[in-house]
Amino acid sequence: MTAALELKNVSKLFGGIQAVSDMSFKIESGELTGLIGPNGAGKTTVFNLVTGVYDVTSGDIELKGRNVNKLKTFEVISLGVARTFQNLRLFAASSVLENVMTAAQQHNKYGFLEAVTHLGRWRSMEKQTREESMALLERVGLADRAGQQAGTLPYGLQRRLEIARAISLRPELLLLDEPAAGMNAEEVVQLNALIKDIHGDFNLSILLIEHHMDMVMEICPHIICMNFGAKIAEGTPWEIQNHPEVLKAYLGAEE
Amino acid sequence: MNTLIQQIVNGLSLGSVYALIAVGYSLVYSILLFSNFAHGGFLVVGGYICYFMLRSLEAGIWISSFAALIGAGVCAVIVERLAYKPIRERTSVTLYMLIASMGMSIVIENIFVVTIGGRFRALPPVVPMQPISLFAGATVSAFDLLSFVTSMIFLAALQLFLSRTKWGLAIRAASYNLRTAGLMGVNVNRLISIVFFVAGLLAAVGGIFLSVRYTLYPQLGSMITTKAFVAAVIGGLGSLPGAVAGSLILGLSEMLAAGFISSQFRDIIVFGLLIVTLIVRPTGLFGKSVGEKV
Amino acid sequence: MLDGYVGGIVTLLAINCVAAMGVSLFTGFTGIFTLGHAGYMAIGAYTTAILTVRYGLHWLPAIVAGGLAAMVFAYLIGIPTLRLVGDYYTIASLGLGETIRLIIENWNSVTRGARGYPGIDSFTTMPVAVGFMLVLASGMFFLVNSNFGRAFKACRDDYVAASLLGFNTAHYRVFSLAISGFYCGVAGALLGGFMSFIQPVMFDMAKSTELVSIVVFGGLGSMSGCLLGTTILTIITEFFRPISQYRMLIYGLVLVLVMVLRPEGLLGTNELTPAFIKGLFSRGGKQPDDGASS
Repeated sequence: MTAALELKNVSKLFGGIQAVSDMSFKIESGELTGLIGPNGAGKTTVFNLVTGVYDVTSGDIELKGRNVNKLKTFEVISLGVARTFQNLRLFAASSVLENVMTAAQQHNKYGFLEAVTHLGRWRSMEKQTREESMALLERVGLADRAGQQAGTLPYGLQRRLEIARAISLRPELLLLDEPAAGMNAEEVVQLNALIKDIHGDFNLSILLIEHHMDMVMEICPHIICMNFGAKIAEGTPWEIQNHPEVLKAYLGAEE
Repeated sequence: MNTLIQQIVNGLSLGSVYALIAVGYSLVYSILLFSNFAHGGFLVVGGYICYFMLRSLEAGIWISSFAALIGAGVCAVIVERLAYKPIRERTSVTLYMLIASMGMSIVIENIFVVTIGGRFRALPPVVPMQPISLFAGATVSAFDLLSFVTSMIFLAALQLFLSRTKWGLAIRAASYNLRTAGLMGVNVNRLISIVFFVAGLLAAVGGIFLSVRYTLYPQLGSMITTKAFVAAVIGGLGSLPGAVAGSLILGLSEMLAAGFISSQFRDIIVFGLLIVTLIVRPTGLFGKSVGEKV
Repeated sequence: MLDGYVGGIVTLLAINCVAAMGVSLFTGFTGIFTLGHAGYMAIGAYTTAILTVRYGLHWLPAIVAGGLAAMVFAYLIGIPTLRLVGDYYTIASLGLGETIRLIIENWNSVTRGARGYPGIDSFTTMPVAVGFMLVLASGMFFLVNSNFGRAFKACRDDYVAASLLGFNTAHYRVFSLAISGFYCGVAGALLGGFMSFIQPVMFDMAKSTELVSIVVFGGLGSMSGCLLGTTILTIITEFFRPISQYRMLIYGLVLVLVMVLRPEGLLGTNELTPAFIKGLFSRGGKQPDDGASS
């Protein structure tokens, strides 16, 4: 069974800085995997390499066995990948619904001629896009705010919206970049539940970058730890918590 | 060969005047990160002040120039306070300031059109124009020599200001990050006013020389602004040495094209260089490309 | 007599609306600021003029051909230049617009140069202009209310996020430019048929600035705002026709004032829908809150 995502000895150099160094790991289909490491370890860079925002300096990235090194970002996305962002990238001036519809429309396409005349498949596809989007908003609890401007939502709900938007792309691999950043304990608990829910319901493979250790340890059966661009440990939560390299990275070396 | 030397000299002279304009524009760009389309307006203001002092008040060239420089500097500060400050205090979207600057450029230009008329005005012949012999049989007019030397003097003065004075240091810091400079205790509003004053002053110097060369009319500002933009882009937006380099390249190209091909080709060369630069190396000679953290 | 005068204004208004919609799509909806769209009007105008006058083609296919010529040119030049971001593209567009004008001015054999192209048939009657306007406006409204509209807006609001939602942003930007080029080309063609005479200076930077001013005034991101803004500004400038030298001054002031006081323009990103109008009136009569503190 081919892995959903596989990195084979991937390295990324920015000038003289080795952001990612000889990273190799595999995420099997349907897995919920955590990617942890101190700040600056290279975790977001891994995301950017997978989605084609950066080119790899060496090594291979494979999605379901297919090499995606040379693909442009939008091409990678159309292979079934979706991503959320550390610093939120919602379309702040647009409504909540429109944010999700912009993603949902990718699966309900119609042509230019139909668009300028509102004939043909326009009506049926638009209806479908709208209905799918509203259903997703129901799912994440944002349906009552569908018309609200995305930028005016409370922070926790904005994060939820971004996740909803990512899911409406119907991805097979979902990359979540610090979805709990800035949340309080209660919001993290709700987010945990949401992520577990969507993991189960949509049968996604999820790769999750997070700093909230309790969250990662609770929901990820498989965790990868990075430091200085390299993988320093990989295993179950218990294995990671007791791994000397991980402890050293976070807490410093024992004297 | 004579023509070649002649045109090179002409090109350097023209380029050095462009440099005054382009440097002022790049200075503003490096601090506020937007293209001030009204920059040419300061040039025209300087030109008209000088013209009227010479013509109507029959003042000497030194006093008239001094008044023009100060007047243009003050005008620049006023424009900034009226049109740009309210916008930059409310939003970091530079597009709005860009559009406002376009508006100010039109306003300044047309205030002159409406009040004193758009006809061409020649400055009284107070600037020496006689030909001076150079080597290899080429002649250069005293005017070209004078404008080149004057431009170099002002550019050197600017360099001293930026490298040796406290405000110069503040400006250099601000060109890296305006907000951080403010957090370090720099009075940001005053800094911006100083930058605009300097930019306006330099533009006025250029404006006086350009008025003599092309005669003075309200649209002179936009025509020169466009060329200064091209020069700044060629040299690298936001880079001062780049602005000077780009201006000299532009001046030389224009004069060589005019001398060896045709004078219609002059303007085409200007935009041709722009498009080539933007396609081949958009950051120009010395500009830095700023990536975005995703 | 009065009928003819009003008819003329309506015709001019229709033409302006077509051009403004083109610019609105590109600048307002796709977020790319342009200062060179008068160039596409010029291509359309001259193509149609030459086809009708020199080759005797009927005006209907000639106008469409003019639009297509502008569209093809926009598409071809868009591919390399739309890789540029922000200010760089704006300056490039300025250069492109001016280059087009310069080429037309100097290609005397085809375009009759700076003196202009006379003798164009007056095919742009009021029904023709309004007819084109209505068809093109419907198409445009439908387009922005479709997946394409959302794609353009995504590219405008956050092109990184857009590409990470699977949009080929480079392709959408060029596509938007091509369509806006078509609209401006048709507007230029209609203008030629209205004035029976075209001149390169009609399509200079001032014209490009006018187009942008209209769109900014109406609201960047609102198609109905664009039409409303065009109507208001066209009518106001007709009022000022006796003192037409103030026309540009007014445009400049509009730009500055809108940016300083209300950068979102008349309608911002809202469209003039029944819900919106109702919202405007209901603000005054709000119901008391359900239990929440006031």
